[in-house]
Amino acid sequence: MTSKKTMKAAFESMMFIWGGPLDVKVAAEIFNINWKDAYDYFVELQEEYDKDKRGIRIREVNKSFQFVTAQENAEYIERLCTPVKQRKLTQSALEVLAIIAYKQPVTKGEIEAVRGIKCDRIIDGLQKKDLVGEVGRSTGVGRPILYGTTDAFLKHFGFKNLKELPDLEETAGHMADDTDQEEPTDSVDLQQISLQLPEK
Amino acid sequence: MGYKVKLNVFEGPFDLLVYLIENAQMSIYDIKISEITDQYLEYVKEIERQDVSAAAEFMVLAASLLEIKSKMLLPRLAVGEEGAASEDPRSELVEKLLEYKRFKLLAEMLREKEDAGLRIMEKPQEDLSVYSCGAEEQLSLDLEQFVSAFHLFLQKKKRLEEIRRHHMRSEKQRITTEARMMDIRDFFRIDPFREANFKELVDKKDDRYDIALTFSSLLEMMKENRLEAEQKYLFGDIIVRATEYLMEEKPNDQQKNHESRI
Repeated sequence: MTSKKTMKAAFESMMFIWGGPLDVKVAAEIFNINWKDAYDYFVELQEEYDKDKRGIRIREVNKSFQFVTAQENAEYIERLCTPVKQRKLTQSALEVLAIIAYKQPVTKGEIEAVRGIKCDRIIDGLQKKDLVGEVGRSTGVGRPILYGTTDAFLKHFGFKNLKELPDLEETAGHMADDTDQEEPTDSVDLQQISLQLPEK
Repeated sequence: MGYKVKLNVFEGPFDLLVYLIENAQMSIYDIKISEITDQYLEYVKEIERQDVSAAAEFMVLAASLLEIKSKMLLPRLAVGEEGAASEDPRSELVEKLLEYKRFKLLAEMLREKEDAGLRIMEKPQEDLSVYSCGAEEQLSLDLEQFVSAFHLFLQKKKRLEEIRRHHMRSEKQRITTEARMMDIRDFFRIDPFREANFKELVDKKDDRYDIALTFSSLLEMMKENRLEAEQKYLFGDIIVRATEYLMEEKPNDQQKNHESRI
């Protein structure tokens, strides 16, 4: 039985050489240990790097782990690779992405219904960037393509998994605060109209 | 004239409408439809001047706004006897606007996350072929493994050739419905009065594709009145005969050949 310390060190080496996100399942199989243990070791490693504020950190993406740079060093890295490539998404792309992220799996028609405008080109663009992908076909008429987000989406926004997306209800609450005060008066008005009419 | 609109700001009809409502400091639950519709239409006109196809996207909502406006003009008499209050004609629009606003907010939230996410850099997936076994190492294994690997290679090659041959043939066939019809015509030209079994038209080594192709060519020629066919009973042999039209084609063709020679 390999010691935990050895395995953790081995995971570090493996992550380093692998480059991309290393699947916990693959790492667990190499040492023939169960998945949960391997996952915990990765998380421990991650915490150690965070605690020491190292320039390299460990990021989790959909049950895989990967070495990345520390967020606070972005500026220095950018100085190293000027001119910096602009990777920010446009406002409309973000809107479409938000709809796909929260409603997935979702058809193009459903996306367009929310935005009230055609979205073909934006969806194509997001697909080219690999932020969304086809995840199947709806059973509806014409069997339209269903879209969903990818691991690249999680990376782009720094989410571990989709559960980390902020709650849809929370934002709904925010909005209710803005407009709540006017709502009751409005509904009272309506009642008054409907009460007055029968009396005539 | 009032304000100059910067059009590219709006991501779509809902975006424009939300902006107008917020700009007029109205409650989304109590939209003054008449006022908003006028403003909306004015903006759409402006858009139309610059880009007609972009304006088309805004027209559907313009139409719904007008519909709601006209419904609002009607006195709301439809208070049911059961006391059910008539539905506000605006409610469907409000629902849509609220949903749109919610996703706009979520998009803003994603923007913040993106700013943070883009500050983290990763390395691309590494090419590990430097460390993994290449072809040379495979050969330095023991003889038995080498032989089996070689056999595998041969098999693979054979299969590849087979696929390639098949592929090439089928590609050739794909373009020959017309050619097959020529074949059939030539077949009958030898002896115009012969009766042929359909099986004779099909080569023995032909596969299913050929048979189907020949059959469809036959049907096509029957449609053009160049062939006659007869089947006495279900699944029986099909007897094919040439019609006079087919035989009359001969001089025509020769003429064509003649012309092309000139």
